Amino acid sequence: MSLSEHRHPKFAHSAEETFAQILDFYGIEWEYEPRTFPLEWDEHGTVLEAFAPDFYLPSQDLYIELTTLRPKLANYKNRRVRRMQELYPHIHIKLLKRREMRDLMVKYGLYDSANQIQGTGAQPKGEL
Amino acid sequence: MNRAGLEEYGELAAEIKEVLIPAGALQQRVRELGQAISVDYAGRDPLLLGVLKGVVIFMADLLRAITIPLEVDFLAVSSYSSEARRKGLVRLEKDLGTNISGRHVLFVEDVIDTGLTLNYLLRSLWARQPASLEVCVLFNKPESRLIETPLKYKGFDLPDRFVVGYGLDYQEKYRNLPFVGVLKADVLKGHQR
Repeated sequence: MSLSEHRHPKFAHSAEETFAQILDFYGIEWEYEPRTFPLEWDEHGTVLEAFAPDFYLPSQDLYIELTTLRPKLANYKNRRVRRMQELYPHIHIKLLKRREMRDLMVKYGLYDSANQIQGTGAQPKGEL
Repeated sequence: MNRAGLEEYGELAAEIKEVLIPAGALQQRVRELGQAISVDYAGRDPLLLGVLKGVVIFMADLLRAITIPLEVDFLAVSSYSSEARRKGLVRLEKDLGTNISGRHVLFVEDVIDTGLTLNYLLRSLWARQPASLEVCVLFNKPESRLIETPLKYKGFDLPDRFVVGYGLDYQEKYRNLPFVGVLKADVLKGHQR
């Protein structure tokens, strides 16, 4: 999928849309939240918790989860990624941490996007 | 925290938190890479390709560390600027002046992080049917990798930190530092618009 060729997915965060645009720029095929992985079930087999990584890159067979949250609040997301790796060891997933996201935005000259990552309501503005 | 060797760089030095790889270690590793390439490519008349501008310092030192006949050429690609984004896909801003069909090509990179640019360039180069196409990178940031690519020669693995020097820039500054250093956090913050 690319933003220019397919319908515009409804991204949960502007950083995800920016990330998709960067992938498009470099001609990397992607899918947005294509699959949900159950993480926890009750005794009847009903799914209690599930996880849908943000992106899937078919050429790399890689799922990518982005986080723009400050480290303390990202722990929940980290735990879910670790749990997914335990339950689905054959699935490749990478968590792009907040600092990695910020550096990615700075690298591509997206200073406003980098500032947004720093300045979300979840974290003190200006903290790196 | 290592700040040795910073003194003579005045205002640039003031913005460096620490030296991550000293100049001497860089020079030593580049010599080793040059020796390995000289052995592996003996008799193959290799063509070394680099992408402007970050690679120029590494390329200049690497070329002088290689002891076999070779050729060199450079590419330039559009960066992810607002102007480039309007035009859509990444594109070559300066193409090669050399026909690489049937040549043994060694693609030289200063740094690989996500692998997005490298992936695009390798796809473009493979389409020109070189006899072989390998990658030599000085700085590898494996934690940032999104697109995996085999690296035949590798200088250093770098941690997930914003580094400058020896060709690596931040807003076009710091390329001329002979070492690799970590920028102070307030420099990154202060330059953001």
